[in-house]
Amino acid sequence: MSKRGIKGAIKALCAPLLLMLNGCSKSGLYLLEPEGTISRVTHHYFNLDVGIMLLIIIPTALLSVWAMWRYRKGGGGSYRPDWSHSWFIEAVVWGIPLITVGVLSYLSVKAIYKVNPYNPGALAHQEAAAGKPLEVDVIVTDWRWLFIYPGQRIASVNHLVLPVGVPVHFRLTSTSVVNDFIIPQLVGMIDVIPGMRTKQTLEASKTGHYVGFSADYSGAGLSWMNFETQTVTKAKFAQWVKKTQAAPHNMTDAAFNLFAKPYISIDHRPMVFGHVQSGLFDYVVHEVMSGKVWPTPTAMTENMVKYMNKQQANVKAGDY
Amino acid sequence: MSSTTDTRIQPGSTVLWDKGDAAGHDILGTRTFGFWLYMLTDAMVYAAFFAAFGVLAHNAGLNSKSVLAAVFNAQGAYRETIALFASVLAYGYAMVALKKGSRSGVAVGTVVALVLGLVFLGMVSGDMERLFGQGIVPQSNGFLSIVFTLIIYHALHIIVGAIWMLVMLAQMGRDGFTSNVVYRLINLRIFWHFQAVIWVFIFVFVYLQGKVI
Amino acid sequence: MFVHLQGPWNPVWGRLSLQAIPYHNPILVGTFLFAVVIALAAVGAVLYFRAGPYLWREWLTTVDHKKIGVMYCLLGLVMLFRGFADALMIRTQQAIAVGPHSPGYLGALHGYLTPFHIGQVYTAHGLIMVVFAATPLLVGIMNIIVPLQIGARDMAYPYLNALGFWLTAAAAGLVMLSLFVGNFAHGGWYGFLPYFELPYSPGVGVDYWMWAFQLSAVGTTLGSINLIATIVKMRAPGMTWMRMPIFTWASLSTNLIALTSFPVLMVSLALLGLDRYFGTHFYTAGNGGNLMLYNDLFWVWGHPEVYFLILPAFGMMSEIIPTFSEKTLFGYTTMVVASFAIGGVSWGVWLHHFFTMAAEPSVNSFYSVTTMLVGIPTGVKVFNWIFTMYRGRVRFELPMMWAVLALFLLLVGGMSGMMNAFAANDYMWHNGVFVVAHFHMMVLLIAASIFGAVEYWFPKIFGFKLEQRWGKWFFWFMVLGTAWVFVPMFILGFTGMTRRLDYVPYTQWAPYLRVMLVGMAFYVIALVFFFAHLYVSLRDRVKNRVGADPWGTSRNLEWMTHSPVPAYNFAYIPHVHARDEWAWRKENGVASLANESFEDIHMPRNTGVPVLLGALSFVLCFGLIWRIWWLSAASLALVVLVIIVRSFARNTDEVITAKTVAGVEGAVDDALPSAARG
Ligand code: HEM
Ligand SMILES: [Cu+2]
Repeated sequence: MSKRGIKGAIKALCAPLLLMLNGCSKSGLYLLEPEGTISRVTHHYFNLDVGIMLLIIIPTALLSVWAMWRYRKGGGGSYRPDWSHSWFIEAVVWGIPLITVGVLSYLSVKAIYKVNPYNPGALAHQEAAAGKPLEVDVIVTDWRWLFIYPGQRIASVNHLVLPVGVPVHFRLTSTSVVNDFIIPQLVGMIDVIPGMRTKQTLEASKTGHYVGFSADYSGAGLSWMNFETQTVTKAKFAQWVKKTQAAPHNMTDAAFNLFAKPYISIDHRPMVFGHVQSGLFDYVVHEVMSGKVWPTPTAMTENMVKYMNKQQANVKAGDY
Repeated sequence: MSSTTDTRIQPGSTVLWDKGDAAGHDILGTRTFGFWLYMLTDAMVYAAFFAAFGVLAHNAGLNSKSVLAAVFNAQGAYRETIALFASVLAYGYAMVALKKGSRSGVAVGTVVALVLGLVFLGMVSGDMERLFGQGIVPQSNGFLSIVFTLIIYHALHIIVGAIWMLVMLAQMGRDGFTSNVVYRLINLRIFWHFQAVIWVFIFVFVYLQGKVI
Repeated sequence: MFVHLQGPWNPVWGRLSLQAIPYHNPILVGTFLFAVVIALAAVGAVLYFRAGPYLWREWLTTVDHKKIGVMYCLLGLVMLFRGFADALMIRTQQAIAVGPHSPGYLGALHGYLTPFHIGQVYTAHGLIMVVFAATPLLVGIMNIIVPLQIGARDMAYPYLNALGFWLTAAAAGLVMLSLFVGNFAHGGWYGFLPYFELPYSPGVGVDYWMWAFQLSAVGTTLGSINLIATIVKMRAPGMTWMRMPIFTWASLSTNLIALTSFPVLMVSLALLGLDRYFGTHFYTAGNGGNLMLYNDLFWVWGHPEVYFLILPAFGMMSEIIPTFSEKTLFGYTTMVVASFAIGGVSWGVWLHHFFTMAAEPSVNSFYSVTTMLVGIPTGVKVFNWIFTMYRGRVRFELPMMWAVLALFLLLVGGMSGMMNAFAANDYMWHNGVFVVAHFHMMVLLIAASIFGAVEYWFPKIFGFKLEQRWGKWFFWFMVLGTAWVFVPMFILGFTGMTRRLDYVPYTQWAPYLRVMLVGMAFYVIALVFFFAHLYVSLRDRVKNRVGADPWGTSRNLEWMTHSPVPAYNFAYIPHVHARDEWAWRKENGVASLANESFEDIHMPRNTGVPVLLGALSFVLCFGLIWRIWWLSAASLALVVLVIIVRSFARNTDEVITAKTVAGVEGAVDDALPSAARG
């Protein structure tokens, strides 16, 4: 074994401890580094929730260790083999969880309304101040993200650009199976369901690059279904919109039918459409509701590598 | 001694062991109790089906008025109801005869119940044939899927019940009223009545309510 | 009538063809060879020792609740190994396939498993661990212990008991078969709709998953009917409800859950089956189907199911902790109430498995609160165990060590569960590995209780104690493995890592994934110690023989008969006077076993019908999976026929004569001097 190997092994052996320390320094722990209004509220409640529970759990753990030690056989503890009931203790052991759960429930309900994806309480006052929210329609295919900006009549694939400080309203649907939309540092998960429309709301507070995922299992391309989310100033956003509107591709209902064919985004090819047929989102929801499917060929799941080569060839031939 | 435990020992008079064969416990009671538990699982199956019906009924509107009218033929269902209820009644008479220990009484009641059950089945399958003939099939949409599934699942129970009746007739003929035969007859009654009860639910929630959707 | 399929089909072989055999996949070929070697060795051993007739007579056809229980446990153990092998594959894949520059082997782009393959692996892992490892182990132990604890000679329906086992075994067989013939579902153990519909999962994998699941559900439901009827109807005289041992209470509450929830699972799967076979539209996205219906039906079973698993584990802890604290259980009544509270509440929480499905905030609030309510009785249980040790004399023998581990795992798992229940937070990590870490804490707690229970009750069933030295090594390496795998997993949860990745896109997760691999190495070492533990125990079995009450401080009826327990359990049925009857008898100086004049005992006779029905159901499902209609029809007809024919059987009982009983009891007495009587 090489020296590096040995060092690596030692590191790995002590790892949980190191990782915990590392965890405290918060590097890359997206859920603990919120950078959007909604995710910050979530994080606030997360702290409360965990704090209150630790207040109960840690003493309980200590109590049990103490009891085991104090009353170990041969130890100094008194021995009362028949002692099995005490109204006082019963009251305490029911009372403590009862009160804790009461408090947590109260907080939980409050938090649910605060971060309600459809109408988050946390954004209520900002919404009024920030003026018109940005609308984004999200259509998930197997296995790509199409972000449509209906107000701007543009669309972007696997790349989401958002202005800072503006509430964003998403409408989401899927062409095939259930997906789950999340940008950990900005907003939590919402299911993306074929034949239905769900909503999500967020507001970014800083410019930056974030990762977004699909979280629910959707088949062979799932692992590659992450999308880059870029937050920019309002001015930059306007520039980006202008630039995109000049792009040549056109997303029509017919083009969409081709686009929605299964495609694994291993190459993460970003794509933009300078024009989008209006009502595309509703068209897709309606099509799926009336039974349209874009089936996954068996070959695609069962022998993905072969399929990838074919896909590559098709891309060259301009089939997508 | 353990604080919450009760009895103090009374030397000499405390019975520690039960002499005698305790395996001779209440066989009938145990068997019927178990069957009740089984019926409960079947009830849960139906409950889940009805829940699915409740959900999918929201999409009933995918069907045209005429299709719905063809499916929810309440008069036909009413005739089916009468047949099934009469069958249950006949089986009830068989049970009265069982109390009296009359083999022929049980046999006659069972045969009548069996025949009426088959009549019910015939009517249901006729109904299905008529609908399939018109192209109204479970594959049409979610709402029809659940409607057909409920009705067919119930009909499967009636088939099982019919086979069971035949088996009981044979066993009664061979063994008379042994405890095995008796508990099976009693369980069959539970089973048969239960199918009637379920049919009431189907009639009310599917046929009658289907009419108003 | 049947739905039109993508691939080839013919009336004789259905979809089955030579292509179904995955001979091009070296991993599966290796597994296959391994399985063949094991099978040949087993068959060879049976032939060599001429054990065939013995196995058939004494085991395969048995209706004895203890032997059935032992077979359940063996089945669970075998499947536990299979599930563990799956886990190893998942962890190695995720440790290798990190980042775009990671290498790919065996035809995979990254790592050594294709998405299709690893999908099958974790689907099988989840299903096996929940349904074919934990469930049989728990059911097996309940099967063995409950009749003993209530002073009965057998279950209420011994024949049904065997049938339940063989259906479960057949289902497990289907899962194993899918390794070598065809493939398994590849979406996740609980099924995804509409992903499991034909357009997206056209192969036989989902059908294997569906029928194995369905068959095991039937088996478990039958088992629950049996256990409930046994507890309600077969208790020894004097055993009032509030004198029932706590493990029996746990079994009762858990089987009430099974009885009421498994039928819902059957429906959720059956509707999927109708979609896949007949082309109905229950769960399709279009045509008036409703895919959320599946989630609801499935989790209406799924959540009660997790409590179905954990209540017996709680029951085991409640038996072990008093014995090794040399003290009565604290708060018996509270424990009973808490068990039923957990069972009851578990019915009203299922929506927490899909908080992210955009339900109204009021709906999410409701289920968030009900879910948290479960924390109350669970917390009460923890406190009661602590107060059982309080003022006791705690002995850290192996069963107790496992129980203590379970207690700590419960603290971690319960806390993370409560964090999941906080819906607003759950939005952040639902479908992430935080949830995975949560339920593994819970499931490992169950595993720990099972190991503790096996250590505890093993001498009762087999007449000798398991050795302690290797057992302790096994224990400590399990602890190490658990820490090394799941601490990183919790942290990864906070990084937002999602579940079921065949390829991990972000390299900053790599260190955590590698550390988890070290944890897996600890688990592997633990496995070696497990076998050493087993081997040494078997080797020293004569030296380690024990009497009726090997731990000396046990409290319930099961310790009031010989070890190993004779076929008829009790020569006389005991009369019950107190809650901890055996402890009560020991205190009052009447702790002798029945040993006077004996009587004839009626016991049910062995029968091969359950094995046959199990085999036929296996064939039936196999035919359905491959759409070989004639085969399914024929086996279904045979099933019906066999059931009818069996119902005509007249002599299903046999008598163990007083003389035989006296002989057995005498032999036991000779072997065991009075010292072994506790
Ligand atoms: C205090 C008690 C518990 C609470 C509050 C709780 C809460 C939850 C919640 C809210 C989820 C859903 C998380 C999500 O998918 O986003 C969950 C998942 C799960 N829990 Fe628990 N739980 C508890 C106990 C248990 C027990 C006792 C078990 C098992 C024996 C268990 C096993 C599971 C499993 C298997 C899943 C996830 C299934 C899956 O997605 O594959 N939980 N739990
Ligand atoms: Cu749950």
